[in-house]
Amino acid sequence: MNAPFAIVFAVAYAIAYLVCVESNYALFTYHPATVEFGFGVQRAKDGPAMYWFGWMATSGIVAGVTGGLATLLPHAVTRRLWPASTWIVALAAMVAFCWLLKGFFLR
Amino acid sequence: MNSWTALLIVHGLLAVALLGALTHQVLSVWVPARKPAVSFVGRFRSVPGASYANAVVVLYLLTALLGAVIYAEYRISVRTVLQQLEMRSAEGAFELKEHFAAIGLGLLPAYRYFWRQPLAPEHANTRAILTSILAFVVWWSFLVGHILNNIRGFGV
Repeated sequence: MNAPFAIVFAVAYAIAYLVCVESNYALFTYHPATVEFGFGVQRAKDGPAMYWFGWMATSGIVAGVTGGLATLLPHAVTRRLWPASTWIVALAAMVAFCWLLKGFFLR
Repeated sequence: MNSWTALLIVHGLLAVALLGALTHQVLSVWVPARKPAVSFVGRFRSVPGASYANAVVVLYLLTALLGAVIYAEYRISVRTVLQQLEMRSAEGAFELKEHFAAIGLGLLPAYRYFWRQPLAPEHANTRAILTSILAFVVWWSFLVGHILNNIRGFGV
């Protein structure tokens, strides 16, 4: 693993995950009551539908591809990648989730 | 004891090991011991943090994998009870846990990269903060999981 992949993967994953959760871009849906997987976003049937695994899968693919592309960039570009962006974007995503879920705690 | 309870216990034990490793690392990067330590706290923070990096990655992946397996049972047996009892804070705390844990997964490649040997001094702050975020995620996840298990254990 090299620096461009590590940095870009972390940044892309946090952003992609936030977008996937907010817009429900799940690669697949899991139906725990019937132990079934379905491609894409599916409605609940015979129990709840779980999208969390699908959100992570979508985000992982997006981040993996983006990170892979970053490794192809010339060194003159990749050396400008800011290591601190890894934790700044992740922390911002965590704060965003606190904001989005504030209704659980404030009502 | 059913299989869900057994998996939950293993998940908890892995989380304890992960907590220990990450807490050692966090203290070693923020308040490293400057001289041979004699006290318990001094020895706790005087560990070579880099030696924990591989263990942290493996333990995080294993703990997350087991957590993902038992998450299905949570959705069916536990979350519905929380909703019926209108325990919205507990439900919200778990929602945060799932998102924090997912974001932590995405940080693992960067975490591992910045802990590679020999340690780059110019990345000391990035290394310390990434480690601290992962430690926070694991502590939050552990405490929330523990509280929810107290509210409604598996196999009830």
